[in-house]
Amino acid sequence: MIELQDVSKEYSNGVKALSGVSVRIKQGEFVYVVGPSGAGKSTFIKLMYREERPTNGHIFVGGFNIERLRERQIPIMRRHIGVVFQDYKLLNKLSVQENVAFALEVTEASRRTIGRRVKEILELVGLADKAHVLPQQLSGGEQQRVGIARALVNKPNVIIADEPTGNLDPENSWSILKLFERVNDRGTTVVMATHNRELVNATKKRVIAIEHGEIVRDEERGDYGYED
Amino acid sequence: MKIRTMGRLTREGCKNLFRNGWMSFAAVSAVAVTLLILGLSMILSLNVQHISSNIESQLQINAYVASNYPAKSLPALETKLKALPGVRSVKFVSKQQAMKEMKALLKQNQGIISGLGNPLPDEYVLQASNPRATPLLAKKVAGLPGIAKVQYGQSFIGKLFAVTNVVRDTAIVFVVALLIMGVFLISNTIKITIFTRRREIEIMKLVGATNSFIRGPFFVEGTMIGLVGALIPSAVLYEGYRWLVGNVTLFPPFTLLAPNDVLFEMSTILLLCGLFMGVWGSLVSVRRFLRK
Ligand SMILES: Nc1ncnc2c1ncn2[C@@H]1O[C@H](COP(=O)(O)OP(=O)(O)O)[C@@H](O)[C@H]1O
Ligand SMILES: [Mg+2]
Repeated sequence: MIELQDVSKEYSNGVKALSGVSVRIKQGEFVYVVGPSGAGKSTFIKLMYREERPTNGHIFVGGFNIERLRERQIPIMRRHIGVVFQDYKLLNKLSVQENVAFALEVTEASRRTIGRRVKEILELVGLADKAHVLPQQLSGGEQQRVGIARALVNKPNVIIADEPTGNLDPENSWSILKLFERVNDRGTTVVMATHNRELVNATKKRVIAIEHGEIVRDEERGDYGYED
Repeated sequence: MKIRTMGRLTREGCKNLFRNGWMSFAAVSAVAVTLLILGLSMILSLNVQHISSNIESQLQINAYVASNYPAKSLPALETKLKALPGVRSVKFVSKQQAMKEMKALLKQNQGIISGLGNPLPDEYVLQASNPRATPLLAKKVAGLPGIAKVQYGQSFIGKLFAVTNVVRDTAIVFVVALLIMGVFLISNTIKITIFTRRREIEIMKLVGATNSFIRGPFFVEGTMIGLVGALIPSAVLYEGYRWLVGNVTLFPPFTLLAPNDVLFEMSTILLLCGLFMGVWGSLVSVRRFLRK
């Protein structure tokens, strides 16, 4: 499903964010990526949807050879990968429903399909009654649900999230995690970079720990393992 | 790309025009002013060209035959004149004919020349096939035996050509400068609208929008700005010029071109320039944001 082979990333300013990283993630897995700030978690995430390109190594995600992808194929690849951010990245001028529909409109789906899919997804994330509300009238947790709905609406095989609970209180963080677990139960791979010790320790899933750009630990049913 | 998508992108582009109301207004005004000046200078230079070709086509050389030249050699002289390179026409005016014309001109006052016999010489009237070569031709004619004197608007011709050249060259420089300014203004306007929509573009790319999908609305926006910016000055110039031609009376060779002759060509060029500025301006400014 996801495979990184000896991947290194050096930014143009000379910072070595990742060096010699190799990982294999199977379809349907739920993986936490943990590590101190500046360790290279976001870089790891960004390489997977080609926001950044590796300096060395190979990256495969859902059948796409990410670093060999032609410019024209990038949009197609992005439709198969759902990405969720710490700051939600919603359009404030558009309603909840329009924000989610946006991801379908770019695929040139028919209006009927868009209407049906958006309704289904909003029910899944529990926001069916807020479809016509603007993002700024929602709580942080609800805004993140909209972000997740948008990531899911194209039925991707993998969801990648970079600190999705970073801006949320514990209660909202838990409900977001529950949502990811439900998505994962339906067979979608979830990769989530996080700082949230409680969530990691309580849920006992695979944990990949990164420090100074290298994988220092990779265990099934692992712990967060830092005292920060 | 599907037709439905094109419709959507067109609607988006038009909506953006209104969303960014003031910027769009500024861009349209900039294009309109640019093209208004372009149109004005076109009308002006077309008419200057028209008037100068009127004048040029009337340029002629009067070659007077020497009074002692034998009449029986005249046909030979005419053959020689016709054989000169660059001659369009040669017309013979005999001294009798010249006298008749003179009398017709003087009408009731013809008594003043009745006692003089006929002092007028025989004359050839020539036209050069290229009016600008008139001075050269005149020199050659003067060199032929039997021609006593040659006349053409010597000083006048030089000035006329100098003036028309200057008018034409300044018009070209002016117009090119205006077009560049117009492109710059449009691309700046679109850059500002893109800047305010950077986040939107970023998210579009993130969820898998193709570059042409992202470009679409901006393309439409630029096209509309260019189109409206061309239609306004076309309409203003059309009405203005028609009014001018209808209300000002002029005498040949100083006549104006008929409105329909000028305006069709001019509106087409303004429209093309407007579209060019709009499309180029928008594509140039989006390109930078699509690269990464
Ligand atoms: N665009 C960038 N240009 C230069 N350096 C960067 C860039 N993004 C991240 N870095 C550097 O790379 C390292 C890893 O960053 P990041 O992947 O964001 O870590 P994390 O998400 O674990 O906090 C840091 O030292 C950071 O300063
Ligand atoms: Mg980070």
